[in-house]
Amino acid sequence: MIRAGRLADTLIGLVPIALILLAWQAVHSAGLAPPALLPSPAAVFTRLAQQLGSPAYLEHAAATLYRLFAGFGLALAVGVALGVAATGSRAVGAVTGPIVRVLAPVPKIALYPAFILTLGFDDASKIAAVFVDAVFPILIATRQGTAVVEPKLAWSARAAGVSPARCLVTVVLPAALPSVLTGARIGLVISCIVVFLAEMITSTDGLGHLLVRAARNFQTVDMFVPLITISLLGLTLNAAFNALRARLLRGFPEES
Amino acid sequence: MIAIDAVSKEFETKGGRRHLAIDDIGLAVADGEFVSILGPSGCGKSTLLYIVGGFVPPSRGSVTVGGKPVTGPGPDRGPVFQEFALFPWKTVLGNVMYGLQQQGVGRTQARERARALLAMVHLEGYESFYPKELSGGMKQRVAIARTLAYRPSILLMDEPFGALDAHTRTRLQNDLTEIWERDRKTVLFVTHSVEEAVFLSDRVVVMTRSPGRIKEIVTIDLPRPRDRVTLLLERRYQDHVVAIERMMDAQE
Ligand SMILES: Nc1ncnc2c1ncn2[C@@H]1O[C@H](COP(=O)(O)OP(=O)(O)OP(=O)(O)O)[C@@H](O)[C@H]1O
Ligand SMILES: [Mg+2]
Repeated sequence: MIRAGRLADTLIGLVPIALILLAWQAVHSAGLAPPALLPSPAAVFTRLAQQLGSPAYLEHAAATLYRLFAGFGLALAVGVALGVAATGSRAVGAVTGPIVRVLAPVPKIALYPAFILTLGFDDASKIAAVFVDAVFPILIATRQGTAVVEPKLAWSARAAGVSPARCLVTVVLPAALPSVLTGARIGLVISCIVVFLAEMITSTDGLGHLLVRAARNFQTVDMFVPLITISLLGLTLNAAFNALRARLLRGFPEES
Repeated sequence: MIAIDAVSKEFETKGGRRHLAIDDIGLAVADGEFVSILGPSGCGKSTLLYIVGGFVPPSRGSVTVGGKPVTGPGPDRGPVFQEFALFPWKTVLGNVMYGLQQQGVGRTQARERARALLAMVHLEGYESFYPKELSGGMKQRVAIARTLAYRPSILLMDEPFGALDAHTRTRLQNDLTEIWERDRKTVLFVTHSVEEAVFLSDRVVVMTRSPGRIKEIVTIDLPRPRDRVTLLLERRYQDHVVAIERMMDAQE
């Protein structure tokens, strides 16, 4: 029953995507846009298939993926650690609270030029850009999630002789996992966007760089290919994340 | 021994006003004694238990356990909360093993002890279930097993059988008396049921309406081990129940 329901949901979800592809094809066939600017879907997907078999293209994709995961991984580690520490220690909470509120709404991609100047054109500057943008939602969600954990869960652990610090890691953090994972998902989406943006602004490799290079040379087919690659990547990451989330939260009542 | 000395607790409420939850409670509980606390809802029974547990500091007064002042929670006092407070991300077995493993007991040994405790509360076969997959009464029994696991010498039980049907309740009361007869733990037991309090306790503390004060302490001089069915026919049991019921009614 549930399986069938999920399958139906997935199929319904595919309808808008199919409609966009149809509209794209229709605009192309009707000649509403010059073919030089808007290539046919068929041309783009053929090129995509070609590129996915080309080692050079895969190297660019790998560069993007590496920066994405390095930046996101750092953001996850730092965001969760700081968020938990802010709940556990009044001092850490007092120090991080205001600075997070000030910095969270700043579009941190604006810091990217500064990162290039200090960290160079290579991976480090892009990883830093992903990190600073992704760390905030993770930190905020962890902080808020851990702050509202039912005190009796922590009391149950403390009564068993567990130290406050250990209790924070073994009880408060796992109890806040639903909230932490929500923050992590937002951080992951932001990471995908920022790594692409950073590569578009200044880079010598990566999917974002390929897109800009193709656009500058009016190679419209090649411009669409990285775009579709990154959206497929996002789709895959999201599915993997959901699977992991379902597994980690299988004991929580609010998750089915 | 638990010595509760002139303990009061005031809570700050939202408007900056103070709310006196319990007022000037004094009570000494001997080692191995079973003491029940009865009182109307909101009179501060849970609050008193939290203060003895070291989870909440008193506003005035002090609590000592075995001569040492209580400054925080410790494995000598095992709480069983009104709301169970099981870890939702752990299985039944994981919940019971947690305290042992944190104390450095090896995995196999912790698992063995947890299994034995779960068998004692009649939950064998449910080891790999998650708390959300259990009924209220089963959750309560897991919570009891989890607390017994690290062998506290004092049990602080907050309406542990409140959410149970009459049948399960009776069975768990029998199990608890059995555990108590065997280990002679000191028990502070909060309940709303007069019969339960009289059946289980050496003494019953009756509290007043909020702010909670001690209204009366009744010594239950019934012989042990007690058998529930014989007790029901016993005149002294009936007298205690009726007397305490009257006390409770008098303050409505
Ligand atoms: N954290 C808190 N902040 C403010 N007031 C509180 C807090 N905890 C308890 N109180 C108040 O203290 C009083 C006693 O609460 P408590 O939970 O100890 O009652 P209780 O006797 O256990 O009631 P019940 O039988 O319904 O469980 C209540 O009036 C309650 O409003
Ligand atoms: Mg209560």
